[in-house]
Amino acid sequence: MFRYIARRLLYMIPVFLGISIISFFVMYAAGDPLSIIRIGKPDITQETIDSLKAYYGLDKPVPIQYLNWLTNLLQGNFGKSLRGGRPVNLLIGSWAWETVKLQLISILLAFAISIPIGVNSAKKQYSKQDVAVTSISLFGVSMPTFWLGLLLIIIFSFQLGWLPSAGAYGAPYLWWEPPILDEIAHLILPVTVLVYVMLAQNIRLIRANMLEILRSDYILAARASGLSERKVIYKYALRNAIGPVITYLGISLGMIIAGAPMTEYVFSWPGLGRRYVTAAMELDFPVVMGITMIITIMTLIANLIIDICYVYIDPRIRFR
Amino acid sequence: MTETILNIEGLKTYFFTEAGIVTAVDGVSFNLKKGESLGLVGESGSGKTVTALSVLRIVPKPGKIVDGKVEFNGEDLLKKTEKEMQRIRGSAIAITFQDPSSSLNPVYNVETQLRDAIMAHQTVSKTEARKRAIELLEVVGIPEAETRMREYPHQFSGGMKQRVAIARALACEPTLLFADEPTTNLDVTIQAQVLNLLNDLKKKFGMSLVMITHDMGIIAEMTTRIVVLYAGHVCEIAKTYDLFDRPRHPYTEALLAAVPRLDMRKTLRVIPGNIPNLIEPPSGCRFHPRCNYAKQICEEVVPVLEETEQGHFVACHEWRNISLKGERGH
Amino acid sequence: MASNKKEEKTKEKSKRRGASQWAVAWRRFKRNKAGVFGLIIVMAVFFVGIFGSFFAPYPARPDPGAYDPFYDIDPTTGLGDARKPPSWLDPEEPNNFKYLFGTTPIGTDVFSDVIHGTKYTVYVGVLVTAITMALSIVVGAIAGFYGRWVDNLLMRITEVFLVFPALLFILVFVRIFTLRVGDPFVILPVINIQIPVGLTIVVLILGVFNWASNARMIRGEFLRIRELEFIEAERALGASNIRIIFRHILPNLLSSVIVVSSLTIAYAILLEAAVSFLGFGDVNTITWGQILQENFSEMRIVWWAEIFPGLAILLTVFGFNLLGDGLSDALNPRLRD
Repeated sequence: MFRYIARRLLYMIPVFLGISIISFFVMYAAGDPLSIIRIGKPDITQETIDSLKAYYGLDKPVPIQYLNWLTNLLQGNFGKSLRGGRPVNLLIGSWAWETVKLQLISILLAFAISIPIGVNSAKKQYSKQDVAVTSISLFGVSMPTFWLGLLLIIIFSFQLGWLPSAGAYGAPYLWWEPPILDEIAHLILPVTVLVYVMLAQNIRLIRANMLEILRSDYILAARASGLSERKVIYKYALRNAIGPVITYLGISLGMIIAGAPMTEYVFSWPGLGRRYVTAAMELDFPVVMGITMIITIMTLIANLIIDICYVYIDPRIRFR
Repeated sequence: MTETILNIEGLKTYFFTEAGIVTAVDGVSFNLKKGESLGLVGESGSGKTVTALSVLRIVPKPGKIVDGKVEFNGEDLLKKTEKEMQRIRGSAIAITFQDPSSSLNPVYNVETQLRDAIMAHQTVSKTEARKRAIELLEVVGIPEAETRMREYPHQFSGGMKQRVAIARALACEPTLLFADEPTTNLDVTIQAQVLNLLNDLKKKFGMSLVMITHDMGIIAEMTTRIVVLYAGHVCEIAKTYDLFDRPRHPYTEALLAAVPRLDMRKTLRVIPGNIPNLIEPPSGCRFHPRCNYAKQICEEVVPVLEETEQGHFVACHEWRNISLKGERGH
Repeated sequence: MASNKKEEKTKEKSKRRGASQWAVAWRRFKRNKAGVFGLIIVMAVFFVGIFGSFFAPYPARPDPGAYDPFYDIDPTTGLGDARKPPSWLDPEEPNNFKYLFGTTPIGTDVFSDVIHGTKYTVYVGVLVTAITMALSIVVGAIAGFYGRWVDNLLMRITEVFLVFPALLFILVFVRIFTLRVGDPFVILPVINIQIPVGLTIVVLILGVFNWASNARMIRGEFLRIRELEFIEAERALGASNIRIIFRHILPNLLSSVIVVSSLTIAYAILLEAAVSFLGFGDVNTITWGQILQENFSEMRIVWWAEIFPGLAILLTVFGFNLLGDGLSDALNPRLRD
């Protein structure tokens, strides 16, 4: 078991390095980074360019630059943003909370709701309830997430005026004057969007899996032993079906910072996702690469945790 | 006269699929006496498993029992509520399945599954259930039961798995056990062990046994009476010896003729034709397309069971006119 | 007498039913109403994509790259009616079908824009999927077939691409490359079709970043098929490795490939819409996502310019997903009876 974890950790290293190399060389993807930066920010002054050159050691050979960057990274120094020059790690820190808040709430809600719905849908396959649920889920998976956001904003903010349309806090104040209501009011629409999409995906997974498992012999045998329907479904079937859900949960948690750039953009949410989009647009490489590497690390850790969970869920894996 | 504990009359179980209605069990009737070993014989698709599942009322969707009566100890099981059935399943009537690899849940260890089976019907503490589980495993012949029961199904060999499945079925000492192809998926060498085990347990627990199989050899050894099924209909019911000695139904004759023997020189005869499509089954007697003795009436009218000799029933229009070869070469 | 009838019946039956794997699957597919509905949607999309320009009410924009809010009002084309709501909602507009989806702030008809944009949707969907599947199959097959260290290496590389926050990276890549684009359109020599450079760059990048998950699936399928007994039989008969791959394994892979392709097209369309919506798309090609991007700022008033193109995306992706599900059911049936 520990050997398994150790092996996985060992594998993580080349993956991490691989991504770091690719990320770093993005800068060189279309030529000299300085000229690229100039394209992204046409009004950049020669002074800034010179200082960047010095700061990043862009006159040194590329592999050396990479190593410098990597060592800095591992020490927590992500460089400075090209827009304004503030240290990237501080920037990320301040932006991250909003994103994490949004995502965490959405993930928890989505997973809590989806499991009972998915299970029920599988239990009563082809019933009206099931057909409704499956259609809505398929719709959800086909929907461009930002479109749902737009739709909700148009209906609930612009036309009905019930909820704020942008940002995480603030004006205009209607019923959400007290700060806590303020936060909640601003959360409602974006959370709805995120939850809907995750719900849809999850329900499809659970339902598909449960359907297959409910057809298996051991479920028939469990029923034949006289176990209550409740036990058959929730103890015997669900444990077998939960695998992909855990994977999806893990991935969602790993991506918690990658967040939902789309949703954040639509709702002008002051989180990492939206900042990343701006940084990408402006080719603010330190920010871009910093965020990328953080997301990578989190995804890798999440994957590792998923794998460990799997070992607990499915004993067949334990004894490979 | 020993009492009848199970009486099935006119059982019809259909599967309502996209491709059509599958008439898996279409008017099956037979009974089982207390303490008897009854064989339920037929090809795959004959409806033997579905019959057993119907008795327990666990026929999987899209299957549905559409008609008939299933009397167990005098009560019609088809009229019972789901809760009442749950109390019967596993405790009064039990079933073991063909493939033990798939009938045991892979994510729980053997102890948990046994305990669940026990505690479903008996209010005992976990420790008591555990003790009982160990006893059960020992009875079915699993060595070092206490340690092994913490293991998972995939860690057992095929024969062992089947023993565990049997142990689970017997957890609450049922009066009636359906053994569905208990040895089909096992090595021949293990087969004998498992069959002997079943016999011993039957004696020990005083159970009645329904042996479901397509293997005539097993039937000959294990049972005292046989029901032959074909495409959801009962063809013939007789005492084992009588069936082998003097079959009355052409299908039975064909089944016997297809069994290879070491002690007799015999041409293996293949039954011509295919298993019928149960969505659009042949009219009249379902065996008529493959029957050497079929006449016009066989195509038109479904034959009913008639008594030929004492305790020997056959569903064939022509049974009086034909003389069939049994295993002794009559 | 009886035997004659029997023979007739069986002959009829075998004539009626084609026995090939594909015929069986097609029959099964036809029974799946949802799948057929998806197929209809997909066919409609392709149709509009190819022939749309001929029957759109208004012509495509003269110069898509130029965002000129001061269009000259031309009485014949009707361009110049800016910010008008859908005509069937507009109390002032007598003709209910004039602007089915309303007009944009620069005066173009949203409905026509959507129709003209369909060809880009098809372009993106098909091309991205082609690239992705090609890469996936090659990688998956090699990994699956040769196994051991080749497999390990390829799977590690795949993992790298999987762990990547794809969308984020796509944005950066696209930005870098599109900024250096010269000509917005390029004409292919022999076939004489205009190819949008910017969009093609997006397509290439999407294709390259998308192959990882499909590769894993293909490898899995490959391994599964490889272990089937008939492969062993072929080998025992002396077939070479290449022959086994091409003649036996790949055809069996085909059904999974078909299913996944449909779903990949759906995903590709969503991705492109996202990329364009965030502003990284090709300004010269009015894809559906691009329409959404242009009108985002004025969404409060011109909500129809955001909702309807989005609806088009939703329907199209929905169609492909339904089709994919239907194909999956038809080609790999789950035991229902």
